[in-house]
Amino acid sequence: MKALIDWFDHRTGFKELMHEALYERVPGGARWRYVWGSTLVFTFTLQVITGFMLWSAYSPSTRTAWESVYHIQHELTLGYMVRGVHHFAAQAMVVLMAIHLVQVVIDGAYKAPRELNFWLGLVLLQIVLGLSLTGYLLPWDQKGYYATQVTTNIMSATPLVGDQVQTLAQGGTEYGHLTLTRFFAMHAGILPTLLVAFLALHIYVFRRHGLTVHDENHAPETTFWPDQVLKDAVACLIVLAVVMLLAIFKGAELSAPADPSVKFDAARPEWYFLFLFRFLHFEVINKMGVTFGAIIVPGIIMGVITMMPLIHKFLGEFGHTLNKAFIWILGAGIVVLTTMAIIEDREDDTHQAALAEAHRDGARAGELAAGPDRIPVDGAVELLRRDPFTQGPRLFAKHCAACHRYNGHDGRGTMVVDEAGIAAPTAADLGNFGSRDWMRSVVVDYANHFSWQKNATWFKDAQQAEASGEDVTYLNPDESEMADWADADSLNSADNAENLTALVEFLYAEAALGYKPLDDDERDAFSNPLAADAALVDTGRAVATEGAWTGDLEGSSCVDCHTTLGEDFVALSDDDADGYPTLAKYGSAVWLKDFIRSPGAARHYGEKNQMPAYSPQQLRDHELDLLVRWMTHDYLPSEVHDYENRLTELSGSLGTSAGAGSTAANAVEQ
Amino acid sequence: MSDAEAPESSTSADPPAVDPPGRRELLAAVLSFLLGAVPATIGGLFFLDPILRRSKAGGSGGGDQTMDGFVKLDITPENLVEEGSPVASTVIADLDDAWNRFKDVPIGSLWLRRQQGGEVVAFNSICPHLGCSINFRRGENDFHCPCHASSFDLDGGTTNDTPPRDMDSLEIIVATDGRPDPNGTELWVKYQNFRRGTPEKKPI
Repeated sequence: MKALIDWFDHRTGFKELMHEALYERVPGGARWRYVWGSTLVFTFTLQVITGFMLWSAYSPSTRTAWESVYHIQHELTLGYMVRGVHHFAAQAMVVLMAIHLVQVVIDGAYKAPRELNFWLGLVLLQIVLGLSLTGYLLPWDQKGYYATQVTTNIMSATPLVGDQVQTLAQGGTEYGHLTLTRFFAMHAGILPTLLVAFLALHIYVFRRHGLTVHDENHAPETTFWPDQVLKDAVACLIVLAVVMLLAIFKGAELSAPADPSVKFDAARPEWYFLFLFRFLHFEVINKMGVTFGAIIVPGIIMGVITMMPLIHKFLGEFGHTLNKAFIWILGAGIVVLTTMAIIEDREDDTHQAALAEAHRDGARAGELAAGPDRIPVDGAVELLRRDPFTQGPRLFAKHCAACHRYNGHDGRGTMVVDEAGIAAPTAADLGNFGSRDWMRSVVVDYANHFSWQKNATWFKDAQQAEASGEDVTYLNPDESEMADWADADSLNSADNAENLTALVEFLYAEAALGYKPLDDDERDAFSNPLAADAALVDTGRAVATEGAWTGDLEGSSCVDCHTTLGEDFVALSDDDADGYPTLAKYGSAVWLKDFIRSPGAARHYGEKNQMPAYSPQQLRDHELDLLVRWMTHDYLPSEVHDYENRLTELSGSLGTSAGAGSTAANAVEQ
Repeated sequence: MSDAEAPESSTSADPPAVDPPGRRELLAAVLSFLLGAVPATIGGLFFLDPILRRSKAGGSGGGDQTMDGFVKLDITPENLVEEGSPVASTVIADLDDAWNRFKDVPIGSLWLRRQQGGEVVAFNSICPHLGCSINFRRGENDFHCPCHASSFDLDGGTTNDTPPRDMDSLEIIVATDGRPDPNGTELWVKYQNFRRGTPEKKPI
């Protein structure tokens, strides 16, 4: 063995090399305070290993980047670990580098003859920040897409060459495939190569001048191996443990696939850039222009840090004190600004709502990607565009929430406000539309169920006109035939309790809520958790169409007025309508679509209607389809945390004066 | 790399032209330089393609056709209430991205509003500050960007010092069957993005 080693040493001289590497003098003994450089080298090695592995499964293009990262994260063996470690080690690297820098400044390790090495270190700092920036975009999710947009827009504010720099970085004037390929080339090729080169120089120059000893008399002199290596190894192990624990218990986030047409209100940079983000929030800074706040100020700060060796050279120890003061003030400023950003965001309801929606979209995208159809070739972004669960709330908020609410909010979890505060709805809350609760409430509590509309101007005007003796035709929930019918004692008597339940079940079955897969096999395999109880439905049908009640109500059936109830939905012409709202397949997709397109038709509300008709110009066919499928729960069932029910909050904020709908609220709360 | 210092060493030596070793030095220096320069130039130009391509594309000016570059919106003028709340609309068009052409995909979004007197105005929903998306705040009745808190009035004018300029208005034409007509029922917009962070509105 020894012969073999000698043979190898003769040809390579590795023994001397090893000796030089391992037996560096450590005056004052091995110390924990010297571990930071080594942890950085270790973290970088970790990034190289996990990075190469990610590379082997990553595909940079706008239709494959998110998709391949999803595949890595959720399907490949230990993918979540490899990506998680890469994700958190990148953040650890920024933290470790900050510590390293602060320590170098405090210990005066930047002073001559080590100034060149200090500058090499600053170059490394820039490269690492460049790696984080380029890496943040690669998953091509909403979060990375919008945050990086801000950064590249800041680049464009660079004096003189900004425009060109931005175009070069993006690979064009807008984000696209080439932005990803170029960012990836930078992230996995150019920047790491530069980093290795500068790191080699950094370590070479470091070894040339030796350790900056903090206190020579701390302990007897030792050598790098094994004393310092032991401490370094323990420190690296701690870094590894922290990063792995984060990967397991927190996990690297993957938000929804990037979509330039979908606003992302939760855009924030990575946490270690939050201070800069918060800095750009100051109006006084913005007054000076983006270039000033985002380029000149950070440039000056980097400039001062770069000048530190010279400041010491010309001002001596006073210069060193200045440098230390600067780095402490800078650190304090960063901490304060970061804390401000975090606290302000936490207290900002709009931001929290945006964040909640971002999480909802992200989780839903994952759910669909894992669904029976997997990811289509046109990308996961299309999955979300075609998903009622994702698009329904947005369409509702855009088209319906001016009058209606959905569980008290606008469909997207946000309360609807006007100048005076939380706005009162002027039409029904559709959060439980078509459900058993809804049907029961319509039957037994009609007046209260539709009482939100009493907040509407048209209602108040009509009442006023009526009071002044005019003959007005309008929908008054309190004085409708339905409310009168529902007032019958017999309806709510114990004898009819079962009949009522059956009627509700029948009406509920007519709405046919639940997922209806288009694929035959999927449909056969799918069992609808929202399906009605068939036996009860039959009883209910008899109650509804034949008036199979007991007591006074016997013989009084729904079809006495709503003649089409129980039949297939047909869009009857105004002449054929019975003068009462059509209840054929009431609450189902086909009924809803027809209603939304023409609520004023005689088959619906006729001349009493107040709802605007939504033409295909306002609400395109496929949008109507998405909206209606969302309202009837016709989408791949979701485990994703949905928007909170805010009905109680709405009723509460409107106070007693607007008591309308409070029972409806209770009904929904169950 | 040695090619950077090679020419220097040849000039510093700079022997009489007849001296064969000097000629060899020069030749070696030139060759070394070329060996470095040629691949570097090829690689560099390849890398600069986005800029080179853009200046090429910029050269060909658009024609005079009125509707050239305009995209028809789904929304119609009668959907907009005079002096009402702004309405968001998505712009659907073909999108060319490197080697792909995506047919009829959302390429951006804008805010539409009918002003007093009936004129319809359109604003790009991208914030002129740093490119986040501008929202309409019903409570405040203004436009607001959730990133750095830029805010604008309903006519797109800045109401604080964060944004460097007003919201980017877009050219909009009311038309019938694709021909300009003030009483038409179609809205056509020239969807453009503009450079962010600068006081002047410059298309990109």
